[in-house]
Amino acid sequence: MEFNTFGFIFEQVFISLKRNVLLTLASVITMIISLSLLGCSMLFLANASFVAETFESQVEIAVFLQDYLSSEQVVDLQNKLEKIEGVASVTLTTKENAIKEFEESMGSKTLLEDLGGINPFPDKFTIQTTDAHLVQDIASKVSKVTGVEKVRYGQGVLEKLLQFTDWLRWVGLAIVVIFTIASFILIAFNIKTNVYSREKEIQIMRLVGASNSFIRWPFIIEGMFIGLIGAVIAMVIVGFTYTWLLGYVMSNLTFLPVVADQLFISKVLGAMLLSGIGIGVLASSISVRQFLRT
Amino acid sequence: MIKMKSISKFYPNGARALYDINLNIHKGEFVFLVGQSGAGKSTLIKLLYRDEIPTRGQVIVDSDNLIRLKEREIPLLRRKIGVIFQDFKLLQNMTVFENIAFAQQVVGKPKKEIENNTEVLLEVVGLSKKRDVYPDEISGGEQQRVCVARALANNPPILVADEPTGNLDQDTAWEIMEILSRVNKMGTTIIMATHALYIVEKMKKRVVTIDKGKIIDDRPEGANRFGI
Repeated sequence: MEFNTFGFIFEQVFISLKRNVLLTLASVITMIISLSLLGCSMLFLANASFVAETFESQVEIAVFLQDYLSSEQVVDLQNKLEKIEGVASVTLTTKENAIKEFEESMGSKTLLEDLGGINPFPDKFTIQTTDAHLVQDIASKVSKVTGVEKVRYGQGVLEKLLQFTDWLRWVGLAIVVIFTIASFILIAFNIKTNVYSREKEIQIMRLVGASNSFIRWPFIIEGMFIGLIGAVIAMVIVGFTYTWLLGYVMSNLTFLPVVADQLFISKVLGAMLLSGIGIGVLASSISVRQFLRT
Repeated sequence: MIKMKSISKFYPNGARALYDINLNIHKGEFVFLVGQSGAGKSTLIKLLYRDEIPTRGQVIVDSDNLIRLKEREIPLLRRKIGVIFQDFKLLQNMTVFENIAFAQQVVGKPKKEIENNTEVLLEVVGLSKKRDVYPDEISGGEQQRVCVARALANNPPILVADEPTGNLDQDTAWEIMEILSRVNKMGTTIIMATHALYIVEKMKKRVVTIDKGKIIDDRPEGANRFGI
């Protein structure tokens, strides 16, 4: 394509954006709303999974050992437990440490003496798992290992927690999927209407002998441009709102875990930009193509 | 210039639009296509700029075989054929000048050349004073003149017109016919489908009559309705 033609196409884009100022505005606003929703839903999903993960990571299995084990046997046992699939770490709290901790928490220094020198605490392993969903399984495996007296992991509560975190993840994901589809459809329809409203223009261009690529390019660039403008505005809105919200939650609702990772936020904003431009280009080229068939 | 060999056109619903049409049109001719509504005039015109493809037969325009024309070669064909419609098909959001310039921009002419050429065309159709008004602000006759100027914008050797006077009163229709006559005298081949027999009789050009998709009469230039 000659430079002359190229310049003309760009000129055409601006002229037509100006001529169809209301349609352009409508498309840009649609783009802003859809992409903002998309960005918000992605941030929601990230935070929902983060909350779920944080809660789940607090789940531990406490393994109490039988009393007669020698320290070698304890070490053997620890090795054995570490080899179980899904076990992330096994930490030992010896009975001596356990009573010390208890003494400290009670504010007493003579507890052991008061008990007549008999330490009632067993040795204990604390197991952390790679996935909270594996806790039950691992716990039942561990309870069958010789030398293990008792296994505790918050039976009853864990199931409810897992139900909740799973639900949270699914809801987050569903929201992203729904909003992604909704915004794609919304933007695509809007651009399609935009192109269709200029059917006559396209028809005349074809009649006077404009090549297909000559007709197509201004529409594609226009779609890209609308996507770009809409995305940038949506990014500013979502970026500022999220940052503000983050500050509020971190200072007022400290118990709520939030995703404050700058890299992640910029990734979400980047995804918004790419979707905006991508849908803009895709929707306009598909819409124009319908008119370029003979 | 234009050759149609054994053309037949059937629509998917089975309707027969044209049947066994053979037609030769030479360079510089002015040919009227007459016939009742639905006789096939419009379909025949559309075959010329490949808006339709015949079901059977060959269409050759300026040595291009339109049946074998590739998709990307269609624009080049259309630059050789100016088209005028009954309903003008002007872009309402562009001025008279812009409508005419537009046809030249899409074929990639330089800006300066477009401006000069458009001024000349406005002069030819007598609309220099209305260059900056919009189509809905001028009369039907004036709109049709804009359409003629646009059809001529890229200097096509062939001009086809489908009922160009269909929406105009007689006086205005004659204004358009005068412009077309002048264009024809400058060497442009013109094919015009029309209902307006008063025009056909007075112009004494070649007249091809179509009825139910078949050519039933081909009267040479200069003859009257009795073929004498």
